Amino acid sequence: MSLEQYKDVWAYCALDNGRLTRPSLEIIAAARKVADKIEQRVGAVIIGHDLDNAVDEAIARGADVVYYADEPWLRSYQCLPYTRIVCEMVEKYKPYALLFVADELGRDLSPRVAYRLNTGLATDNINLAVEDYYFGPLNTTFKNVLAQIRPDFATRVAKIYTPRHRPQIASIRPGNFDPLPEDRSRTGEKIRLRPEPNPDDFLVQVLEEREVPKGPVELEEAKVVVSIGLGILKDGNGNPRNPREGYELAKKLVEVIKTHLGVKAELGATRALIHAELKELEGLITSERQVGQTGKTVSPDIYVALGISGSVQHRVGMIKSKKIVAVNTDPNAPIFEIAHYGVRGDLYQIVPRLIELIEGGYNG
Amino acid sequence: MLIICLVKGVPAKTTQVVTVSGVLRREEMELVLNPHDVKAIEAAYYVKKTVGGKIVAMTMGPEPKLVPIMTDLVEPREESKYVPRISFEGFDERIILSDRRMAGADTWATSYTLACGIKRYLQNHFEAVDRLKEVVEKASVDESLKLAEELYEQNYLPHHIYSKLPSVKNSVFSRYARGEVGKEEVLAELEKYRMRLSKFIILTGMKTSDGETGNVGPQTAEALSQMLGVTIPSIAFTRDFEISPELDHVIAERRIGSVIQRMRTVLPCLLTIDHHYEPRTPPATTQRKARAYSYPHRLDKPFVWNADYINADPSKLGLMGSPTIVGPGYEIGKPPTQKFVGETLVFKRDVEKLEWNGKTYGPFKKGDPVNNLPKELVDSLSAQKVVDVFTLEDLVEEVFGGVRVVARAV
Repeated sequence: MSLEQYKDVWAYCALDNGRLTRPSLEIIAAARKVADKIEQRVGAVIIGHDLDNAVDEAIARGADVVYYADEPWLRSYQCLPYTRIVCEMVEKYKPYALLFVADELGRDLSPRVAYRLNTGLATDNINLAVEDYYFGPLNTTFKNVLAQIRPDFATRVAKIYTPRHRPQIASIRPGNFDPLPEDRSRTGEKIRLRPEPNPDDFLVQVLEEREVPKGPVELEEAKVVVSIGLGILKDGNGNPRNPREGYELAKKLVEVIKTHLGVKAELGATRALIHAELKELEGLITSERQVGQTGKTVSPDIYVALGISGSVQHRVGMIKSKKIVAVNTDPNAPIFEIAHYGVRGDLYQIVPRLIELIEGGYNG
Repeated sequence: MLIICLVKGVPAKTTQVVTVSGVLRREEMELVLNPHDVKAIEAAYYVKKTVGGKIVAMTMGPEPKLVPIMTDLVEPREESKYVPRISFEGFDERIILSDRRMAGADTWATSYTLACGIKRYLQNHFEAVDRLKEVVEKASVDESLKLAEELYEQNYLPHHIYSKLPSVKNSVFSRYARGEVGKEEVLAELEKYRMRLSKFIILTGMKTSDGETGNVGPQTAEALSQMLGVTIPSIAFTRDFEISPELDHVIAERRIGSVIQRMRTVLPCLLTIDHHYEPRTPPATTQRKARAYSYPHRLDKPFVWNADYINADPSKLGLMGSPTIVGPGYEIGKPPTQKFVGETLVFKRDVEKLEWNGKTYGPFKKGDPVNNLPKELVDSLSAQKVVDVFTLEDLVEEVFGGVRVVARAV
């Protein structure tokens, strides 16, 4: 079967209490971007039970076709039956590309799906494009290949291609695409598959599922994120400071922004600071506040980086912020390369003045 | 039980490994143990204490760079450049899959290769048991004992089958030697042992610090399922699990999105172990019983297996066997304008067109940085306080002043 026969860009959509998750809406938007470029359709894949609302929602959010399996025995997510059903859908309808969300479910499901379909999987992408790709060892140019753009340690950002196999499977990090506006007047095709249960589907049984209480930290929704890094351990003269002071200052800045500007603000932190496990910050800074490659990706209107040097791993988690303000004593800190606003100075002096100025009435 | 732990050597610069002596890394490309593998190793050790068996580390990569890691995984050392401190007694066996043809593999090709290695490892054990069964069936007690001893010394038989430990007096072959059991019972015991071998467990870290994909665990389970014709479940993000000493099942807990799933899986299975995992301590009686099912030796030298030995299809290995190709990398770009407090000259108010030496400049808006203007013009504007350095006040006004009306760009 030739590669050209694979058509359409699919998004695997996950559910939360019967509704599509926000990252699922984001990857429908990502699929839309790719599909429009190559003039193909967007397919949404949904597996679970009681899916009527979710199927309509997928169409309203940009899908042209929804492939779904709606069975009582598929209510809880399970790797084996879901893998089998996604693979059956792919083998029958042959999509050009298949997108997953790079969250726990996507990371559990997509590797098995990709291996079974004998195709490539590019994980953790922050953007997608369509390009022609010249592959030297075969001296061949592959037309209209998906460029899967992901953070990379050595080269900062790398493009991954799956030129010789279909579908091209990619997982997309949450927070990098904006969902399309809901349009209930859109119409789409609904294709229901009716899979029969197979004994192997039940090698793993879900005994119990319980909701994780929703944490108080909502980094992704905040309009302003103030983040701290290991720089809070020292002041401008290089003298050690109790990191608790830096934490309290940053927290005060967050509070002042919330009360004086009336917007959602949250405190974030770097992986380095969280992993340092400082006893002064015990219980105050947990991994749910981590911004970066192994933490959360945020794209707030304003990102304030306090004492953060700006490693690639941190930058990929906040590079999409609309305005980046960096305060750092190291005049050559890499964070200044990407900051819209830089303050080369001591956060222990700068932050109190910032607080004063915001309290002083620059409240628009 | 065969407890297979997949580990990886990663470039030191991608890890946070700090040794006791504070020596960080000798050179950037030196390989150290992937820090996420520590939890998988702790999990493997928990399994061994609960059900007996042996823990084997399997890795793929260039042999010379992996040997130092593998060496430090035998005896846990206080201080190692390659391995952080792990509370366990060391691996019983270690296997390095090393072959030039394996280089440049993506997660698909890596998983294929690891699955070939695991299959070979399992086969070696099945073949050993089958050989012994054949000899027991056809040959004398003495000949059977001779082969059993040989296999025991090669670490193929656990103490409950054959043992030289003074504390284990009633191994299957001791009873056979004393005439307490006959051929049929020995064969039945060996068949039971064979069944036990088929209930292996594979443990991996949740991802590696260099690739950061987390794909290899689930993909190895899938690859091995295809090779063995047995579906091997994979459970990613395992944060807690218990194995039943009878090897009936594993109960695992993991978080998927907003739910914690508690699940029961059959063996064999593969678990990827999340950083939340803390090993349980099995009761002393369980640990004592488990020892009878463990193996005699901790082998000093790692096995090094090439592609031919593991019967790998060369077209599925390395760069050419990889569906994905890593293209050129590029830099994450700079913003179009940057302003530094106390450094950047900016216009302090809106300015219509400026005439200077017959040329027109502008218009300029308040806050625009001063770029590419003649020095004399800048001096003159500075004297009039039309331009001045960007201050913290300017920053707050620009950044936070309009915060309520900032529209999210699409």
